[in-house]
Amino acid sequence: MFNGDEYAKRTLDFVERLQQLERYEDICRHIASELEWFGFSCVSSWSMPGPGDEPADCILLNNRPKEYVDRYIERNYVLRDPVVTELRRNLQPFSWGDVRANRDLTKSEKSIMDEAREFGANDGFIVPIVTLSGSVSLFSPCGADPNLSQRARAAIELIGMYSFQALQRSLLAHKRQETAHMPLSPREREVMHWVAFGKTDEEIADILSLSTPTVTWHVENAKRKLDAFRRTYAVVRAIRSGEISL
Amino acid sequence: MILTLTLRDRGSHAALFSEYFRLRHDVFVKGRGWSLPTTNGMEIDQYDDNDAVYFLDVGEQERIQAAIRITPTIKSSLIADYFPHLVENGQSPRSPSIYECTRYIVIPPRKSRDDNRLAKGRIIAAMLGWSIDHGLTYLQTVIDSVALPTYLELTPRTMPLGLPHPYGGGRKTPGGGECMAIRWPICTQVLDDVRQYGGLIEIEPAAAAYARPAQPTAQLIH
Repeated sequence: MFNGDEYAKRTLDFVERLQQLERYEDICRHIASELEWFGFSCVSSWSMPGPGDEPADCILLNNRPKEYVDRYIERNYVLRDPVVTELRRNLQPFSWGDVRANRDLTKSEKSIMDEAREFGANDGFIVPIVTLSGSVSLFSPCGADPNLSQRARAAIELIGMYSFQALQRSLLAHKRQETAHMPLSPREREVMHWVAFGKTDEEIADILSLSTPTVTWHVENAKRKLDAFRRTYAVVRAIRSGEISL
Repeated sequence: MILTLTLRDRGSHAALFSEYFRLRHDVFVKGRGWSLPTTNGMEIDQYDDNDAVYFLDVGEQERIQAAIRITPTIKSSLIADYFPHLVENGQSPRSPSIYECTRYIVIPPRKSRDDNRLAKGRIIAAMLGWSIDHGLTYLQTVIDSVALPTYLELTPRTMPLGLPHPYGGGRKTPGGGECMAIRWPICTQVLDDVRQYGGLIEIEPAAAAYARPAQPTAQLIH
């Protein structure tokens, strides 16, 4: 009574395994291999760039050819791409074929869609993702002859929403890890302690009976670990994070 | 303040229950155009019996700012009775430890993104806390599948029971769309997710509040 078909089984299994993955690379691989079963060879997922956002920063996942994406960004296709304009009036999933069938496309709109054919993508599916924070994102796989049956669409919709969430989660965790700095070594801490008292590298070398280049090397390492460009800022970060105290 | 009530409390909270059923009529019948049974401007259905548990977030001047109802699936299940095709994971949606949530309302006095988040987080956290205390394993519900990302924002542990299916004539019909069944495993991690989402996490760490073992299902309120 409650047993689903192949589409349901695959998709529920996909979601379950996806939720156990943490590494960005593993998540991407998992998504790409599932989409292959449906005949999608490429996928991209991105948030609609807001005012002032760099388009490249909005991409969560993309394995379309680099030349295609570079050209897309460089020529600002996002403003004219009929698939993107469709999102302004329709926040439900749709295929490229639906757009071609339901709208009279201008020549330039057609040419943007046709450019995807250069890398073998004849049709694609768009899953719009609207979050409570009001942002619109999308998950968009494409391929030569993808399965776009009713059930496949339902499956891709679910795969897209879960994938977007998992990608966002792993990228956020990655960012957080980057801001949490690496701990300083005992020697680096000692050197930074004297930097905090305004000593020069020569003076510190004297105090600690080290050579000046060695002290400079420790200071530079500490600055890198604390993500600080200047010594004074490195001191501030070291105190703030409890690495040294005055 | 969030009140956890059953219809047995109707005597002591008569005015509140009347306001609650009237609010349901406003939100679901007038607002969303659902065809639901209505009496005296109040929306009351067959799931409103002594087994239903109501969570009502009551603000100033007794105004209801959020509400949700949960019902035991072992007795009556919206999913099993009306949407069995939404369950495709090979498991029965009925169990003594599975409840269903319905009639979810969030209307904070001030309407902003943060107020919505807070109100949503508060009411769902209350419902999850009760579910942990009563040894439930899952809460399940039916949603419009377009709204799935907002549930994943609430907790990434939201699990699908099956794929989206058309209702009311599907997406090309006005008033129609696609719906799906989802469930949350009842555990402190999900409660923590929801508290974090609502910005409630600093107030009281859920792990500490619910560190005691879950009660056996025999003590379920029926």
